[in-house]
This record gives sequence, C-alpha cells and structure tokens, in this order.
Amino acid sequence: MNVLKDKIIWVLLSLCIANATLAHHSFAVYDSSRSVTLKGVVTKWQWTNPHAYLELDVQDATGAAHHYVLEGTSINIMIRGGWRSNMIKVGDQVTAVAAPTLSGDQTGLLLEATLANGQKVEMPIPAGYIFKRTP
Amino acid sequence: MNPLKIITCILCLLLFMPFFAVAQHAGLAIPDITGVWERAKDPTAPASQQAQLKAEYFKEKQRLVQAQSEANANGMPLATRLMQCQGDGMPGMMGGPFPMEIIQSKGQITIIQEAYTQVRRIYLDKAQKALDDIEPSFFGHAVGRWDKGVLLVETIGIKPEVMYQNMPHSEQMRIKERIYFATHEILRDEITIEDPVVLEKPWTFTMSYKRMPDYQMLEYICEGNRYFVDEKGQQRMLSNDAIK
Repeated sequence: MNVLKDKIIWVLLSLCIANATLAHHSFAVYDSSRSVTLKGVVTKWQWTNPHAYLELDVQDATGAAHHYVLEGTSINIMIRGGWRSNMIKVGDQVTAVAAPTLSGDQTGLLLEATLANGQKVEMPIPAGYIFKRTP
Repeated sequence: MNPLKIITCILCLLLFMPFFAVAQHAGLAIPDITGVWERAKDPTAPASQQAQLKAEYFKEKQRLVQAQSEANANGMPLATRLMQCQGDGMPGMMGGPFPMEIIQSKGQITIIQEAYTQVRRIYLDKAQKALDDIEPSFFGHAVGRWDKGVLLVETIGIKPEVMYQNMPHSEQMRIKERIYFATHEILRDEITIEDPVVLEKPWTFTMSYKRMPDYQMLEYICEGNRYFVDEKGQQRMLSNDAIK
C-alpha cells in the first residue's frame, strides 16, 4: 500500500515539475498567490529570447523612484499572442500587473500591461492561469 | 431518387468521410507530412503509459523530483539545461509547446523545433550505426523508413544528461517512433523508449499534432538570457548591475 502511495505522490510531483518546466525556466521564484500593479516609466525594453524584460522606474508617494525588472515569456509566444517589439519604447508611461518575486526583490513576472496608448495586453505565459490577480 | 434515400446517402458519406481520408493517407506509401505543426488534442490516441523504472533508477528519479519540489517550494528552483538555453534534445523536442516544422527531402526528413532552434535529421533507408560509432548528442542518430504510410524511426546515441521528464536513461536507450496520420488532420507520433538497463519494460507515449497552414517559423536565438547557475546549482537571475 505504501509503495502504491509513494508512486501516486511521485506521479503527481512529476506532473507538477513537468508543468513548471514548460517554460525556459521555473516560475517558482514568483508568488502566484497575488499580483502588484506598477505605474511607471519604461527605462529598458528587452525584446529577446529566451524571455523579454520590461524595466520600469516607479515613483512612490514620497516621490522616490524605485526600479523594477519585470520578466515576460518567449518573444515567439508573445508574437503569436499579438505582441510586437515596437509596442513599447523607452520613456513610455505604462501600467504593469505582475506577480512579485517571493524573495522580495523588485522583480516580477509581467502578467499584463496597459501601454502608453491605452491598449491593454496580456502576457501569454504557458499555464499563466496559476498566477492570481489581486487588487 | 427518393429524398429520404438521398439524405441517408449524404449522412453515410459524412459519417464515413474521416475513415476515407485516413485510408487515403494510409494508402499512400509516402504521405505528405511537410509543413508546420503544433501539438493537438487526440482523443482516440492510445493512452500514454507511465514509465516503469527499475528500483534503483526509480529512487534516483524520486530524489531528483523531491529536490526540485522542495527547491520550488522555497522559491529557489534548481537549474535546468533549458534554463541554460541548451534545448530539450530527444524526445523532448517533439513535445513542443512551440511549433515544429517537418521537411521531407530526398533521403532525409528534417524536423525543426522552433524553441531553441533544435534540428533533428532522420536519414531514410539507411542502416542504423553501431553505438560505438556514434558520438552521444542531444538528438542522437536517427534512421527511418516508410512502411505503408507509417514512418518508422529509430534514434540512438542520446547523451545521458539529456533527460525527458527527469527520466534517467542509459547509453543503450533506443527511441522508436511510428509517425502516421491518425485522421485527415491529426499526425500522430507513437514513441516507445526501450532501455533494458533503466526500464522494467518499454515505455510508450503519444504526441499528436495538427497543421498550422499559414504559420511561418520564427527564429529563436537565446540572446538575452538573464539566468545563470549559482554555486548551489540553483537558478538565479542576473542582478541589475550585471545587466548594465
């Protein structure tokens, strides 16, 4: 019975790992239970594989600037999802919804963005549904 | 003709059309599989099996899966070969989730997986080489032949560290594939892993694909990888200072 139980647990764990590795790397560094909304100015837009990166300077209530690095997915997946490299430029004001890093660093997984022209775009992350959007 | 008979004939035609289509493909000695494909649902595919590892390898895999699970729970995942942009190798590259292009040419079938620009060559109607004559690699040495519309492929010589779903394997692993049209639209790859050292019995699973008729393959160069492996073997992202 214990052997059977072990095998069932092992199979479930394998499936979890398989899901986690659909992407270039594990997204387990990100907190899937909540999201943060960041309104800031784009300082860097890295349109590359294996993943894209959006860097923002966000001002807090005191006027102090905080630099955030938000990771996207593969630009191939993004292109198939309707993204283009010219959608974002350095200096643009954007609002980003991201899953924060568990470590507390000012980094996160970009889930969606409202661009300078008001267009809202979702990040087509494989199995992205596991990342909760919270107020 | 009686209208009822006409309707009955049309219904019969519609009902049996998929079988005619499959028969049409199966009847071709060499079906046309050239094109771009993506993974597809295939409800009539044979159920994929769970691999049955021999006890010592089962424990080895359990340890790895447990370590990965604990590392993930701590928010510090273990590094992987994909994280280092090394690609899946065989048989993982057949699993997508990116598009895959198949090109049929004289004496060869070439399969290009968009992710990491992985390229696999299947040499047709050639004898398989001896293991000693093959340098282990990500995609191995593959030979194939058409048999009544089914492409039979055998691949050997996969590097031991190139693992599919964390599954260990020995140098003796042979990947046997049966690639054929399951329906007019579904291309099916029945993959059987034989490894007398590691597996209790051959392990069979299926991957199925549908065409992406208008899709043009994109390039995939791992030019902006911000991840690296730290001294503990964990996945780490480069700091902002390192990027600048």
